Amino acid sequence: MEELDGEPTVTLIPGVNSKKKQMCFDWGPGEMLVCETTFNKKENSETVPGCPFIYIIRKDIDVYSQILRKLFNESHGIFVGLQRIEEELTGKSRKAQLVRVSKNYRSVIRACMEEMHQAAVAAKDPASGRQFSSQVSILSAMELIWNLCEILFIEVAPAGPLLLHLLDWVRLHVCEVDSLLADVLGSENPSKHESFWNLPGNTQTLTELELKWQHWHEECERHLQDGTFASSPHLECLCKIMLGDEAALLEQKELLNNWYHFLVTRLLYSHPTVKPIDLHFYAQSSLDLFLGGESSPEPLDNILMAAFEFDIHQVIKECSIALSNWWFVAHLTDLLDHCKLLQSHNLYFGSNMREFLLLEYASGLFAHHSLWQLGVDYFDYCPELGRVSLELHIERIPLSTEQKALKVLRICEQRQMTEQVRSICKILAMKAVRNNRLGSALSWSIRAKDAAFATLVSDRFLRDYCERGCFSDLDLIDNLGPAMMLSDRLTFLGKYREFHRFYGEKRFFDAASLLLSLMTSQIAPRCFWVTLLTDALPLLEQKQVIFTTEQTYELMRCLEDLASGRPVQGEASAQRLQEDLENTKLEILRLALARNLARAIIKEGSLEGS
Amino acid sequence: MIHDAQMDYYGTRLATCSSDRSVKIFDVRNGGQILIADLRGHEGPVWQVAWAHPMYGNILASCSYDRKVIIWKEENGTWEKTHEHTGHDSSVNSVCWAPHDYGLILACGSSDGAISLLTYTGEGQWEVKKINNAHTIGCNAVSWAPAVVPGSLIDQPSGQKPNYIKKFASGGCDNLIKLWKEEEDGQWKEEQKLEAHSDWVRDVAWAPSIGLPTSTIASCSQDGRVFIWTCDDVSSNTWSPKLLHKFNDVVWHVSWSITANILAVSGGDNKEKLHMQQPDRQP
Repeated sequence: MEELDGEPTVTLIPGVNSKKKQMCFDWGPGEMLVCETTFNKKENSETVPGCPFIYIIRKDIDVYSQILRKLFNESHGIFVGLQRIEEELTGKSRKAQLVRVSKNYRSVIRACMEEMHQAAVAAKDPASGRQFSSQVSILSAMELIWNLCEILFIEVAPAGPLLLHLLDWVRLHVCEVDSLLADVLGSENPSKHESFWNLPGNTQTLTELELKWQHWHEECERHLQDGTFASSPHLECLCKIMLGDEAALLEQKELLNNWYHFLVTRLLYSHPTVKPIDLHFYAQSSLDLFLGGESSPEPLDNILMAAFEFDIHQVIKECSIALSNWWFVAHLTDLLDHCKLLQSHNLYFGSNMREFLLLEYASGLFAHHSLWQLGVDYFDYCPELGRVSLELHIERIPLSTEQKALKVLRICEQRQMTEQVRSICKILAMKAVRNNRLGSALSWSIRAKDAAFATLVSDRFLRDYCERGCFSDLDLIDNLGPAMMLSDRLTFLGKYREFHRFYGEKRFFDAASLLLSLMTSQIAPRCFWVTLLTDALPLLEQKQVIFTTEQTYELMRCLEDLASGRPVQGEASAQRLQEDLENTKLEILRLALARNLARAIIKEGSLEGS
Repeated sequence: MIHDAQMDYYGTRLATCSSDRSVKIFDVRNGGQILIADLRGHEGPVWQVAWAHPMYGNILASCSYDRKVIIWKEENGTWEKTHEHTGHDSSVNSVCWAPHDYGLILACGSSDGAISLLTYTGEGQWEVKKINNAHTIGCNAVSWAPAVVPGSLIDQPSGQKPNYIKKFASGGCDNLIKLWKEEEDGQWKEEQKLEAHSDWVRDVAWAPSIGLPTSTIASCSQDGRVFIWTCDDVSSNTWSPKLLHKFNDVVWHVSWSITANILAVSGGDNKEKLHMQQPDRQP
């Protein structure tokens, strides 16, 4: 394990005196539990704790933000879209399409920012207002960084247009400034320059442009030297600025909000055809000059600097540390990966950086009761560990409603996650049994292919029938189909119900054969034989003879088997059967069977038709 | 003094146990905390609780200084004691449920040096298997290996039980970590001894499986060290330890996140440390 290259942040648990007490903890599916304890297992441990609370620590609290949810939802759409068109991204249009995707992401961030801003303005109390405002700044910073990355890494603006893009970038993010000088620094010159550069369809080469600019620059200098502007210090200052004089620029520091504004302005007037590889040199000096040794760079400054140095991994690393959730780095890294910028680099984490970030982000989504569905798609696009991560997370989603359970199951089935399907169905079956919803329990156990559970539920059904004299969930039992074969008990249940149907439809002969086969084929549990024999009574009492002699003999044998209390392994004790088969019942059955036998013999012995 | 707190499978319920001999269950959905049950039955401080897999219903196991292991079950909305195991001669320190694929099986480690395995056989019956003298002086922790079907991972036809090789790890006062395997005859045999600690092993945690053939176990000890043991190939069964960190004080507890990418370590220096563990191929 490599050493960390920075001190990890220490999070203090309120109320726990970390100097005196120890903490025990456990992982929940998406959070950690921490509480004060003592690990020394002695009998007379202190019974009064310093802090009686248990803390639940979550790291993905942003998932719960209403406004950010839109960001997550919409960026999810862009992400999935990008993965899908990957194969189609070829040739010249590739870059343009990737830029478009990047701009889509940025517009989503801006939309979110706008909404957050509205919330800040409309906030009822100052505290939440402040919170919203700080979120706005964070989003703004994210867009700033993303935009720069788009220019430098995705658009890969070559020397020349690079500066124009940077100008746009600065303009977009710098607040309004009003003054003559500001106009000069801001809008006026770029338009002058636009005509100068003559984009698009630029027919001039870079060298030609440089020459032109050099020429103009020299002219300006000459004017300054000649003292053309000597009468007006303002104009002189203006001229100096246009010559890129750093000191002059710095004098207007208040109008330049930050060092990158300074950088771009400086470049505009001194090195308009700056090449990307030289950018970092100017960036560093701009930063140093602007800060002037008075303050040190903020995290945002470091991130931007890393971008100017074209150190993508540093950008991602710094962003990961600075931001509170993985949204930004996950999506940006994925996009950069599509730009084929992340390949040959010795990564700190050992495995694929893109996948690592996506996995972390998706895991965070699973902490949320509905956003987890977005997480599924992210896992789908992580070839190494996505599937197993999904398997581990999806089982932990609380199945609070049937609808949610079905949703989860559908996702698992679509991905052939049979183990998870089985496990979830078992859980639902168990839940249904506990809530006495036998029909539901049965269908879940069938779906889970859980023979043992199906047997259990079937037993319950049969027991219910014995107690109440009727079946619940007839539809289900009647339409079991091949699923009936899952367990012997279930088969019996289905067949027994069929017997009742036959009887109801007056198909007495079919009913009789079925009844007999149920007893002789050992499918019927022994404890149920009494019921079956009792069911036979109405058939025996019919005017017409239904049971043949053969069948009657079988039935008699079964009855005597039962009466003699011969125990069968695994079945209820003989004692109980004896009790069930009270003498009166026994006599009634014996009588009925004997009478039937008599009639059957006569019938079979007679000639046809008589 | 709370000795253990565990979230259930979904993070909706919390079970805690304490030196006041009680086991409490809370409903913690939507940030709330409602006490659902206050279970009494132990006669000494309760050291650990463990939730069984939800497919078996709502079942919780607890172990205590009173040498007992109690299994509690929620039936019709109320929690009751469903089984009590008294087969140990001293404090039971750790309980751990086996992967749900194996059925409902609980491993218990005790200061009498023995490990007992309780298997639910149906109709309220539990079968007990005991491994005596698993660790001299005492056993402090037990942790099950994730279920992996050997050989092919193709879906088994319904009704057929796949041939799982059941394994678990235990840590004891003999400074050893032992790996146990269930033989075909149902008996448990010591498969491996992992030696690296110089003092009592306080906790072992077998990492959840992420689909790779590598197996990983974390162990921590009175000697302040945390080791990560890896076995790259099940058939070779050679485990190599890597020292994660040496702390200045006893390390009491190690625990893996559900996707095994973070290991949480609780040390005597009263800090909770989270280590990012990657399924890397680095040595």
